[in-house]
Amino acid sequence: MNQWMTLFKKEMLEMSRNFKWIWVPLTFIMIAVKEPLTLYYMPQIIDSLGGLPEGAVIELPVPSAGEALAASLSQFNTFGVLIIVLITMGTIAGERKSGVAGLILVKPVSYAWFVTAKWASSMILIWISYFLSYFLSWYYVGVLFEFISFMDFLQSFFVNGIWLTLIVTVVILFNTFMKSPGAVGFISIGIIVILSILSSSLPHLLEWSPALLSAYANAFIMGSNLPDELLPSIIVSVIMITLSLLASIAIFKRRELA
Amino acid sequence: MPVVNIINIKKQFQDQEVIKGMDFQLSERKCIALLGANGAGKTTTLKMLAGLVKPDSGSIVFEGAEKADFRRLIGYLPQFPVFYEWMTGNEFLEYAGQLAGLPKSEAKDRAKELLELTGIAEAKNRRIGKYSGGMKQRLGIAQAIIHRPKLVMLDEPVSALDPFGRREVLELMDKLKKESAILFSTHILNDAEEICDEILFLHNGELVESGTLTGLRTKHQQAKIDLAFKENTLQYAEELSLLQPVSSMKLDGEYASFFVEDIEYARELFLTEIMQRNLPLVKFEISRTRLEDVFMKVVQK
Repeated sequence: MNQWMTLFKKEMLEMSRNFKWIWVPLTFIMIAVKEPLTLYYMPQIIDSLGGLPEGAVIELPVPSAGEALAASLSQFNTFGVLIIVLITMGTIAGERKSGVAGLILVKPVSYAWFVTAKWASSMILIWISYFLSYFLSWYYVGVLFEFISFMDFLQSFFVNGIWLTLIVTVVILFNTFMKSPGAVGFISIGIIVILSILSSSLPHLLEWSPALLSAYANAFIMGSNLPDELLPSIIVSVIMITLSLLASIAIFKRRELA
Repeated sequence: MPVVNIINIKKQFQDQEVIKGMDFQLSERKCIALLGANGAGKTTTLKMLAGLVKPDSGSIVFEGAEKADFRRLIGYLPQFPVFYEWMTGNEFLEYAGQLAGLPKSEAKDRAKELLELTGIAEAKNRRIGKYSGGMKQRLGIAQAIIHRPKLVMLDEPVSALDPFGRREVLELMDKLKKESAILFSTHILNDAEEICDEILFLHNGELVESGTLTGLRTKHQQAKIDLAFKENTLQYAEELSLLQPVSSMKLDGEYASFFVEDIEYARELFLTEIMQRNLPLVKFEISRTRLEDVFMKVVQK
């Protein structure tokens, strides 16, 4: 366990040395908080830009607090996912490509710990950034619209977070059998997009799909009925996360590193 | 006592056979040079021993690795070492030491000691990204030996260094010999000649010759006598070559080289002749076989 902590601490130090601890939370906050703000100030924005002809009256329906927060949540599943893939796609592949992995892994380093330390440190960075930004968004929605119950917020936070966790894990998995960070990013995004499109176009076939977790997370903040598929889909996701991690370790052990 | 036994290892990349079956063993506290031209398979051999490349067949057995991870026993420096550029030299060494299983305090002490030993102590708090090539090479050696491995493998440790750096690293390796076996690859024959006990010649993925330095010299000793005269070297040489035991003669600038059958007999014959005729001799040398000659000879076979 000592060695795991050494590996983990190195990851944390690296993330602070290359300022990931600053820019990742900031970017998350920007993309999340932007939604309630623009929704609230839309009439003023349109006004000040003078985009409408004289006399035109447009009635913008005032969005509900739930809709405003759901808009933030949907940002995590587009820009958020993109950022997650960008910051994790090189975590192992990059080290193998540069050759430093060869120097580290001729030491008696446990492959399982190497992979899980990388995974855990990415998880911490992403969950903290995600929490900060989603929490701020929840706060702004409360100030500008009305406060949504904190419990509902937390539940949607965790359910959507499981989907983000799965994404991190899948990116780590591809990291273990590809040497180029670019290829890892491309394939990971491809798989996420395909899974999301399939799940939303064939919801009756794939109702347990992890890609639907974000839709289910919406139900908490919109106050609608919770779908029955919520629990199975959480279970499926957790199983997929575990299997991907185990597969990552197994594949990584067998790879030639040079 | 052998540290590692290598039994008939083979390796193929795509359809090219890079290592065509190789057997050898390495003993404790010996310095062994892996010699060969570029592309002979030196790096691949070292990578296989380090576990970075798996041989297609054959086995590599480390003494004492039946129970524990063999990586505890080895230290490895790749040809072009790459580090975490954002770390300082000291941080990297402590990190490497801890990964190799040293307790934190010991890793700290070892890091300090090795920074001194390798001569980069004054740069220990600088980011590795700012290190020069020579400093990276030294840091690479330091990380390879931090856990006092039984076998240290260095891939071209001095090829990229300037003459000063080269000298210092060679001296460092000489010190290391007291603690561990060293296996290093090089194509600079002088370096091997200087610090090695044993030599492995690699050619086209095969071990073409191996042995101790003196053993190889004796085995490939050529019966050759070099002579030089103050003047008229050619004329005198031709006259001397008429004497019985000379099988061939070659003029090499100022020298005349005689290849003879019996070196003792030839020496006596030549010297008597030269004395009797009072020829203006300036050089008389029974040539010592250099590693380069051995190299050329085994590679041409």
